[in-house]
Amino acid sequence: MGSSAKKKKDKKKDFQKPKLKVGKPRPKPTNFTDTSFKAKTIALSRQSLTTVTPSANTQFTHHLSLLTSRSDNQRRESLSYLTSSIAPHQKDLPQPVAVLLPKLLPLTLDGSNGVRAQLVKLLQNLPPEDVRDHMEKISMYIRAGITHLATDIRDTALEILEWTLDIDGKELVSCPGGWIKTLKTILTVLAWNEDAKLWGWTSSRAIVGRSGSKSLPRTLGLLAALLRAGLVVRPSPDTLEAQLHRFPLWNVEYHMPPCQSNTYGYLNLFGSAKDQDSQGYENINDRRRIFRNLFEGRVARGVSAARREGGDVGRAAAAVAKALGEGLNDDGLRDE
Amino acid sequence: MGRRKVGALEKVEADLPNLQYKIRRDPSSYKTDFETQYGQYESQRELFMQAPSSATDTGIISFCDLIDFVTHLADCYPETTVDFPTQMVAILTTHHPDLESDLREKIVGSLVLLRKKGIIDSSKLLQTFFPILTTTPSKSLRTLLYQKILSNLRSSNSKNTNHPLNRATQTILYDLVVSDRTSPKGVWAVKITRELWKRQIWTDAKAVGIMKEACLADNVKVISGGVSFFLGGDKEREELEDESSDEDALDLGKMKHQMGINKKSKKKARAMENAVATVKKKERRKKQPHPLNFSAFHLLHDPQGFAETLFSKHLQNAHSRLNLEQKLLILQLVTRLVGLHKLTILPLYSYFIKYLTPRQPSVTSFLASLAQATHSLIPPEDLEPLIQKIANEFVSEAAAAEVASAGLNAIREICVRQPLAMNTTLLQDLVMYKKSKDKGVMMASKGLLSLYREVGADMLKKRDRGKDATMGLKSHEKTERRFGEEALGEIKGLELLEKWKEQEQHRKRLELGLTAEANADDAEIEEDDDGWEVDEDDTDDSGGWINVDSDNDINISDSDDDKRPSKRIKPESTSGVVRSTCEDDDKENEGKETTDLIHEVSTLASKTILTPADHAKLRELQLEASVNKLLPSSQRKRIAQQQAQLQRHADDPLTATEIEGLASLSKKASRADKIALAKDGKPERAAHRSTQAIRKEKKDSQGKSSTNKEKARKKNFLMTLGKAKGKQKKSLVERGRVLKAHVERGKRGGKRGNKGK
Repeated sequence: MGSSAKKKKDKKKDFQKPKLKVGKPRPKPTNFTDTSFKAKTIALSRQSLTTVTPSANTQFTHHLSLLTSRSDNQRRESLSYLTSSIAPHQKDLPQPVAVLLPKLLPLTLDGSNGVRAQLVKLLQNLPPEDVRDHMEKISMYIRAGITHLATDIRDTALEILEWTLDIDGKELVSCPGGWIKTLKTILTVLAWNEDAKLWGWTSSRAIVGRSGSKSLPRTLGLLAALLRAGLVVRPSPDTLEAQLHRFPLWNVEYHMPPCQSNTYGYLNLFGSAKDQDSQGYENINDRRRIFRNLFEGRVARGVSAARREGGDVGRAAAAVAKALGEGLNDDGLRDE
Repeated sequence: MGRRKVGALEKVEADLPNLQYKIRRDPSSYKTDFETQYGQYESQRELFMQAPSSATDTGIISFCDLIDFVTHLADCYPETTVDFPTQMVAILTTHHPDLESDLREKIVGSLVLLRKKGIIDSSKLLQTFFPILTTTPSKSLRTLLYQKILSNLRSSNSKNTNHPLNRATQTILYDLVVSDRTSPKGVWAVKITRELWKRQIWTDAKAVGIMKEACLADNVKVISGGVSFFLGGDKEREELEDESSDEDALDLGKMKHQMGINKKSKKKARAMENAVATVKKKERRKKQPHPLNFSAFHLLHDPQGFAETLFSKHLQNAHSRLNLEQKLLILQLVTRLVGLHKLTILPLYSYFIKYLTPRQPSVTSFLASLAQATHSLIPPEDLEPLIQKIANEFVSEAAAAEVASAGLNAIREICVRQPLAMNTTLLQDLVMYKKSKDKGVMMASKGLLSLYREVGADMLKKRDRGKDATMGLKSHEKTERRFGEEALGEIKGLELLEKWKEQEQHRKRLELGLTAEANADDAEIEEDDDGWEVDEDDTDDSGGWINVDSDNDINISDSDDDKRPSKRIKPESTSGVVRSTCEDDDKENEGKETTDLIHEVSTLASKTILTPADHAKLRELQLEASVNKLLPSSQRKRIAQQQAQLQRHADDPLTATEIEGLASLSKKASRADKIALAKDGKPERAAHRSTQAIRKEKKDSQGKSSTNKEKARKKNFLMTLGKAKGKQKKSLVERGRVLKAHVERGKRGGKRGNKGK
């Protein structure tokens, strides 16, 4: 009996309205916080007593370290600071590209859209000559980004791929893993990887996370660019006349010390043994052979199917077909 | 690119578990998606392999998630994921010291999952895990791997024993111990073997072989692991079995009751069915014959060689770096082996001499080991100096009471096993201590006395011999057993069983209306009717071969305590026993009885196979015979004690506590000791409470509700008011009706009545 009465009383108390009385202070609410205290001192956790502002170099390094910050905003801010402190294609950076890239590239897979957008901007500001040596690492992140589950990250990766192709497509396709793996990844994304047996008039292209077919033409365009970079022979800049001009010295560039880094990289003297996929194919004929053996049939099938779709996709597919034609048809090149 | 609003749908589709769920539902349609994600896994792996130690945080989907994803779906796309298991194994084996702990655990877990899905086999898994287990510096990884290895072995042996896997694993472990004897890696072999032994998964000689090698290792940890396995492994196994047999007993009655009350649903019905099935299964398992598990000692190959090497390597060797405690353990093992298998290691006894002084730390363990190492095939002249030394060092008037009683006890334990080790003067000297003022010493001395009354009464002084022994000596019944002489093999109490069977037979005859005297001829006649050939039981006094016919030499009797076999009903099963007992009847003349008894007994044992029922009866008869009701209670108690002594199993070790046993009698117990002794084994009682309160709490803890009486007492007063008011206003007729109904209800047994029960 006693317990139930008490419970009732307690319950009632919750719903009772406090009575206000004239001449008495207002009763304090339950969530009242007492702020009447006064502190004599304020202790700051960290104090800087230097009068000089930190140098630009120090700030650059500081912001570089902030790229791994937990907060999205902080990362974006730091990136934008770095972007603003580098003039487009500036030669002497506060920190070398070899230091910058390992910090920047993981942001390719960052969850925040703003960060990635800012990253692309920053990358475009970097001097192309310095970036060229790190193509292998970049290509890895591109491949990771292209197959990512989140569509936005895929788009960013495509943007970065575009940028690398602009800088130096030839380096991209000849770096270790740059040819076979990149092509494989792109074909996987396009769902052109299937066996011939399964290739009917419908394809199971109900890929999760693809919003419309916006990125499809873009991917196709990039595939075209990649194929062009990998398969098409560039006409050498030296025309016959120019060579004649330097008459006794024929093909000097072949006898000069090599001007690229890691010249004998293809020998793979120090790394672990590499399989066919992760090897670098510097020679155009190797790339063509690989392409003929592994990809040609699939790409041709894919292109013909995409062409039938028409529209943007069809146009992009036509570009791919054209690149293919240029790359694999040697006779056409000789005519040029 | 401006800030883009992320739609809800898109957000959902960016999560890997959702995709995993979809793929699992319909693998063929989501093939491309899986391939894309597998590509993602490949590229992430490539990135990871660039710097395995410094795992970079790769955005919203980590490498861990991808591994998890691919592992769970690996069985849906076997062609795509051919390389996946080898990649996992490679990452783990090459980079396990510098992997991040989360990722490491994930990879281990993924390999185990792949094994569960049947993508890799157990041996592959074990081959991956073992080298890492022994080399990794990380403790957490070691525990994880150990756990996984054990659970893998357990699960693959759960349905039926997986012999190939066990053999392969045992070979790996054996090599681990043998390959490098100085390294501590062998500890893992010891641990795993011990655990599996405990769980009765490995019960064969090969597992014991691993432990044997561990005992002979050079690393202290490995040695002590192996030795403690032999000394305690079997006991551990028994304890676990007892534990597991009485754990998680389902209360079927409670469940049925709840089924009657709670809402019925398919799920609950299924749970009930499962519970019934498990209970039935358990019962069936209980009824099954007990699996015959040999103890580790009995599975040991070449115990003589093993004991010799152990002794010479760890104990005799001056360079061994073991401390006293470890040496004692090894000594226990060696002596246990010697006692159990009756081995002969003569240097062992001279080794003991050095340690037999009261000042030696843990000397009682040494004494116990010495007693354990004694058996009837040890030459008495090897033991005599040891006994002499114990007597000199321990047993004297000057020595402390505990010391003296321990010494006497140890001498007794040795002499139980080899009575010839004692000489007359020493024995008579030691027996004098029975007059000691100290109780412990007195008891120990009396123990020795009573022992020698049994085994060597002529060594005692005449006045110490006692009635039985003196009479036995006079009738030449009790003779001293000589060195190397073995007792005739017999089943104890078999003569009792035989006698009982005879009596039963006799009684049955009387029941059937035949005279007891004329039984022999009748029996033969009956047997002829049953179609049994009668063989002349030729009594060979030399104890040689007995000629028995091939078709009826062995009969299984199925006599039971409750239901006595009647020959008419089951002639073919019982007639064999009946016949043999009849024949015994035949010969049974009062004068001959004593001389023929032993021989007759042996015929019963050799002619019939004793069934469990027979054994039970035998035990019962033995107990009856031993508790002689005519004796005074003090003697009865002593006999019971002796019985208990005899019943100690030969496999059980002799420990220091048994040597020290009587020493506790020497010192007077203080009040605190007595209280502690009284409280020992009783549950803790927080505060004094009424019995009612304790009962109430017990009921609450069992989840039972209160009684009606209690409910009535606790009922809110205001609730009772209305009823009381109504009662007052009732008319006389109404009141009468109510009262009548009350009486009626009482007769019926409550509102619902108890007709059905």
